[in-house]
Amino acid sequence: MILVGELSLWVALLMAAWSSTVSFSGGLQGRPDLVKSGERAMYATFAFTLLASIGIWTALFTHDFSIKFVASYTSTNLPKIYTFTAFWAGQAGSLLFWALILTSYSAVAVFANRRSNRALMPYVTGTLAVTSLFFLMTLAFGANPYERLDWVPAEGRGMNPQLQNPGMAIHPPMLYLGLVATTVPFAFAVGALITRKLDTEWLSAVRRWALLSWFFLTIGIVLGMWWAYVELGWAGYWAWDAVENSSFLPWLTCTAFLHSIMIQEKRGMLRKWNATLVIVTFLLSILGTFITRSGIIESVHAFAQSNVGNWFLGFLILASALSAYLVSTRLNDLQAKAELESMVSREAAFLYNNLVLVGICFATLWGTLFPILSEWVKGDKITVGPPFFNSVNGPLGLLLLALTGIGPLIAWRRASMTNMRRQFTFPVSAGLTTLVVLVGLGMRDWYALMSYMLAGFVFGTITQEFVKGIGARRRMYSEGLVSASLRLVARNRRRYGGYIVHFGVAVLFCAFAGLMFKKDVTATVKTGESIAATDAYGHDWVFTSQGISSFEQLNRKVLAVSFAVTRDGENMGILSSEKRQHVNAAGEPTFEPSTEVGILESLKQDVYLVFTGAVDRDTAAVHINFNPLVWWVWFGGIVMAFGGLIVMWPQAIKSEREGGYVAELPVSDPGALVGAGA
Amino acid sequence: MSHFTPSDAAPSRRDFLRITGTGLSVVAVGMLLPRAVSAQDEQPSAGVVEMSSDSYKPVQRPPKPNAVPQLTSKELDAFEINLACPCPCTLDIYTCRTTDFNCGISPAVHGDIKRLVEGGYSADEIMEAMTGTYGDFILMTPRKRGFNLLAWFAPFAAIGFGAVGIGALLRSWRRNSDAGVKLRAERDLAAPAMSTNLDATPEELDRLAAALREEG
Repeated sequence: MILVGELSLWVALLMAAWSSTVSFSGGLQGRPDLVKSGERAMYATFAFTLLASIGIWTALFTHDFSIKFVASYTSTNLPKIYTFTAFWAGQAGSLLFWALILTSYSAVAVFANRRSNRALMPYVTGTLAVTSLFFLMTLAFGANPYERLDWVPAEGRGMNPQLQNPGMAIHPPMLYLGLVATTVPFAFAVGALITRKLDTEWLSAVRRWALLSWFFLTIGIVLGMWWAYVELGWAGYWAWDAVENSSFLPWLTCTAFLHSIMIQEKRGMLRKWNATLVIVTFLLSILGTFITRSGIIESVHAFAQSNVGNWFLGFLILASALSAYLVSTRLNDLQAKAELESMVSREAAFLYNNLVLVGICFATLWGTLFPILSEWVKGDKITVGPPFFNSVNGPLGLLLLALTGIGPLIAWRRASMTNMRRQFTFPVSAGLTTLVVLVGLGMRDWYALMSYMLAGFVFGTITQEFVKGIGARRRMYSEGLVSASLRLVARNRRRYGGYIVHFGVAVLFCAFAGLMFKKDVTATVKTGESIAATDAYGHDWVFTSQGISSFEQLNRKVLAVSFAVTRDGENMGILSSEKRQHVNAAGEPTFEPSTEVGILESLKQDVYLVFTGAVDRDTAAVHINFNPLVWWVWFGGIVMAFGGLIVMWPQAIKSEREGGYVAELPVSDPGALVGAGA
Repeated sequence: MSHFTPSDAAPSRRDFLRITGTGLSVVAVGMLLPRAVSAQDEQPSAGVVEMSSDSYKPVQRPPKPNAVPQLTSKELDAFEINLACPCPCTLDIYTCRTTDFNCGISPAVHGDIKRLVEGGYSADEIMEAMTGTYGDFILMTPRKRGFNLLAWFAPFAAIGFGAVGIGALLRSWRRNSDAGVKLRAERDLAAPAMSTNLDATPEELDRLAAALREEG
């Protein structure tokens, strides 16, 4: 199977080359036979890439250490689940995994459009095939997972302990699923630009793919935050690290696109902007991959430096140049006669939402690349760390949160003063009440107060929208509260799913603001000694050391410290943190020791214990953090993903109407129209 | 089947500038990034923070006569949050040294800072000593002066330009709308008898429009 897999990689490469060649030439010459051949070759590319992947999995599970990739990332004592996930633990394997996702998406996109978008499909298939070809070439010539060693080691190096974490098992696939999904909208954009069929039809073909990308990127980013929090031991979940930023950038532009696409669908406006956003999102995903894999910027998440970076750079430049050429030569076709009845309208709100999202994207990209620019221009190496990103993106984030609440309250085309007053009264009151209550409770941090006030405003907006919609359904159909709520969402998934996403965003902002009140203490204690600390809520905590223990577990030797914890005199249980030294099958140390933190989780805060080191057999150095509202970060992320799932969920054709429940209104009662249009 | 046909019209000066600008931008990025790639010869492998003994540079000054510490322990911790650890962890000195003792650099830098504090040096003096040895790389954020001002202000300038651009765009859409309304009114005057194909009375249409306006 390993040999079959190795050969399949080369066959997949040939198939992708064939598919890209005949698809483009079929489109240019108007030859349906060539187009069909290109599409079949795309299916074959997927099939052979799958075989190549199965080959690597076989090599991993049979511990074939003659293969460099297997020897570098696994050992015979590695748990089965991590032997499986080792596929994406290293450069070559993760590239093959990327190619597998890309070719599978490509096959699905080609199959789903076998009867639709036929004019675009030769170029869509061609673009997907060229991108697949690039990845397969990078694999074959730059980082081949089947590369053999000159000798066969008796044992593999094993997997980096920090990657032996459930979060790391799921986080990369989710991120890859999101990043790779940006390729399909890009391919459709290229197809639409080449054929000059730039109406809204191509947009509806890519909307679901953009949503899919957004959905997986959201899950991937939040899982990455969770992994960093529980695994890296620095008591935070986001450090504005270059690799973290790389996944955040396409998420921002994808989010902007999912908003601005509504303006084109409803009003036929923003054609240039939407085409550009789709292209930029794809280019940012490639740029992120370049940053992660080239070693261009320091990051603990980055893969080791290799010549793969140059491949990505070349592809990025080529794709940017071709995209820029296509857009610039078709500006006239992208021109739309746009009309706006009022400067105060949802169209305007969406434009400002796009500006802020793209602004955050630019600021993040700028901060990430500025050290390179500085070194290039001045020759000085500088650091652009989290305080920079927080200072620049903090105010922009608050502005975005405000727009999250404002957008749904303003009508399309024109908002009258009466309408505005009625729409804004409750949400603004909710925001101001939140502010007054928090100031009354003694909160003085400006950023936190603004975050909670605006989050209160957003919650007010969402609550108002749901209450109005549910109320209307109950009046019209005499439905119960639960069934009215469920049907309201089911009948207009896009609108109410979007509100659920907004709810998740507001929850996230509340959770982020919680870290303003973070407290910590470092101490060195002997067995039986105690550490006393007070958290942001004023609770008194006592941590009494139960001593240091050492034991062996699975593929590691463990040194653990435990504390009996009390809060205001109440027993809170035992909290432990470990230092782990991973070993190979011969019991020899493999990597640097890693830390396993202890977390006492609650809705109010996490008590986060880090065993920083043993001074002697009886004395432990520890760092205890009180991190408020961290649980809500994970909850907010789940809510966002859930909302995204609702928006994405296919709607039965008979109920797929813009007006949702409005469509069920009796014809004779147009006056009862409520909540029409998202 | 559609065919790819490049624009056959002769390019205008605007087209020329646009295409040249795009080309130059791509070339600039192409020139910048490979240089940066080749400049990165000391990179960590995946997920492993490998320490280089070259990263640590001692910062020592003789204690001042009758030295009195200028910073409390808490202030020292806060001070260290502004300094980047020279190891590839991308964290600040305080977070790095309190996270994991695997890093030998942040505890060493902390030791130097602590000795300088005990030697009677102020926060500004210590910062000067640190940047004198490590350069601006040791700062968690670029200084707000000279070329680095670009780091701080470019994002806001870009957003400012974007906001102005959106304002102009909205105004042009608004003008289009006014012109469209005028044109339609003229057309209606010219053809007053023209009827719509809608199967609704004017009262029904008014009620519908009012309801839509109300609910947005």
